[in-house]
Amino acid sequence: MGSAYLARRLGSAAITILLIVFVNFLLFRAMPGSPERIILRGTPNVTQERLEAARERWGLNDPVFPDQFVGFLTATASGDLGFSFVARGQTVSEVLAQRIWPTIILFGLGEIVAIVVGLALGAYSGWRRGGPLDYVGNGASLILYSTPYFLLGMILLLVFATTLGWFPSFGMLTAGATYDSVWDRLIDFLAHLALPLATVALGLIGAYAIVMRSSIIETSSDDYVTTARGMGLRDGRILRRHALPNAMLPTVTLIAINLGYVVAGAITVEVVFNWPGLGTLTVEALTARDYPVLQGVFLLLSVSVVLANLGADMIYGRLDPRVRT
Amino acid sequence: MTASELAIVRRPGTSRAIRLGGLIRNLLRRPDGFFGLCILVFFSVIALVPDLLVGPLQTPVTGLANDYPRLAPPSLEFPLGTDELRRDMLNLTVHGARVSMVIGLLATVITVFIGAVLGVISGFVGGRTDSTLMRVTDFFLVIPTFVLAIILTSLIRDLVGSATTQILGIRMTLIVIVIVIGITSWASTARIIRSQTMSLKERAFVDRARVIGAGGSHIMSRHILPNVVNLIVANSVLVFAGAVLTETTLSFIGLGDPLQPSWGQILESSREVGAASLGAWWYFVPAGACIVLVVFAFTLLGSALDEMLNPRRRARR
Repeated sequence: MGSAYLARRLGSAAITILLIVFVNFLLFRAMPGSPERIILRGTPNVTQERLEAARERWGLNDPVFPDQFVGFLTATASGDLGFSFVARGQTVSEVLAQRIWPTIILFGLGEIVAIVVGLALGAYSGWRRGGPLDYVGNGASLILYSTPYFLLGMILLLVFATTLGWFPSFGMLTAGATYDSVWDRLIDFLAHLALPLATVALGLIGAYAIVMRSSIIETSSDDYVTTARGMGLRDGRILRRHALPNAMLPTVTLIAINLGYVVAGAITVEVVFNWPGLGTLTVEALTARDYPVLQGVFLLLSVSVVLANLGADMIYGRLDPRVRT
Repeated sequence: MTASELAIVRRPGTSRAIRLGGLIRNLLRRPDGFFGLCILVFFSVIALVPDLLVGPLQTPVTGLANDYPRLAPPSLEFPLGTDELRRDMLNLTVHGARVSMVIGLLATVITVFIGAVLGVISGFVGGRTDSTLMRVTDFFLVIPTFVLAIILTSLIRDLVGSATTQILGIRMTLIVIVIVIGITSWASTARIIRSQTMSLKERAFVDRARVIGAGGSHIMSRHILPNVVNLIVANSVLVFAGAVLTETTLSFIGLGDPLQPSWGQILESSREVGAASLGAWWYFVPAGACIVLVVFAFTLLGSALDEMLNPRRRARR
């Protein structure tokens, strides 16, 4: 991979992350109530001297730019995101660390299922364009694409948890349950995971199938596919060996770009199923107006999306020699 | 390409009525366009005259009398059942159409306005202005704007306080949502308009205008803008679908206004009551179906318009 390409991508990602921190800084300054009052919230007998001492202690008497911003930037870089308003004594980083794994498990698995199923569905319906599967698959993809994730979740909850009673309806493990073995615990976890996972996967499949379908339709009229047909290769082989690898290229970027939207869905699906991840944390923080935690979530999710995009660019650069300049 | 379509692209001076008439006729000939327009008309009528259809909006105070059932399933008297406050779900869902559609419409106006202005300036002026604006645009394209919207909405609400002012019959709390959606979702519009402006800039009529002494702002408003109106229209429809979805999601996580319930707000109340766990499907399925229908129809309509009006997509066919 060309080093210029690499440098440009890295530079652009770095600037975006810097902008994210800057926006976070602006939001902190825009918070209602002056900063020193927020710091001393809940402290009894706040005198003028104590306010002034707090201002001095936290550097609030320094110029906002660059001094305060540089301080904020250094703190953020070292993982110091401040303290939660609500969980007193806990740093934002600690609060986030407790809630990140459920989200990674749910969305990691959901993405994998959706990528495999969505791309396969899209590739097949695009290849057999106008066929019965294309007709049904494309319609279903469009409807799934128009459905908010949480609505999908509520319907799955209604059908499979309430009416049929196949799965538990909320949480990650049964509350207060004791397990005989690790396996029982795992089975309980998987039963709780099934519905939220299905929701995430179904929500994503629509978008991926639509992208893959149009990509494969574009590829199928390319010269090398015609050549492969002329060589008398079997249809399935042309699809797998010739059309598919090239049609996959645009989907790599699109999956990464879509991540930003997926995050919004993440939050709401967790709320429907009470899944104890970053999404439910966001809503809890929102209800309690816990701004530091909200900003921590924003920073964490934004930086992850930027890094994922950077990763996608790298993969793309490896797969497609034309962009390596 | 038909003659009327040609007129749309090449002659910005042609009477607007003729262009619009031709456009709608072409749209009605396509199945996706026809379906999309039908849904649009249906929900617009509902949103315009909800009071005529189901009477005034029922509130917890003006709800039904105490002898009516709570959370009752659909019956002849209440086709969509009742909620936990003995309100008629049909009444709430029909009134929700007005709130959801008006918020969607206002948010679309702001989004498209910001996107079009920045896109035209960025594409026309070029140079450092362009690279700075596009850096900001990329920022908004990449980051999860929804999380930013959550923070902004609650921050602005805390700053504005609980004012009871109404704009166009919409409460201040919802106006904040409109503004936040506008601020956070203009980026893709700006990108599209910018690339079209850049190709228009090289055309002969822009050179002619420049030669006879027209300034930059005159060229942008009188020569570039009329030529990107098509794109703006096609894009607005897609933006509207996105705005309705964003509003629904924001309301669902608790940023709606219970005094002016949108469809998203209805879904939120149903979650708080635990309707899905109680099997009270009538509480959220109708409002949910309305959202899906509107977004689906507008996505179809938007891509149909895009195919008809966007010179690039048309050339590919």
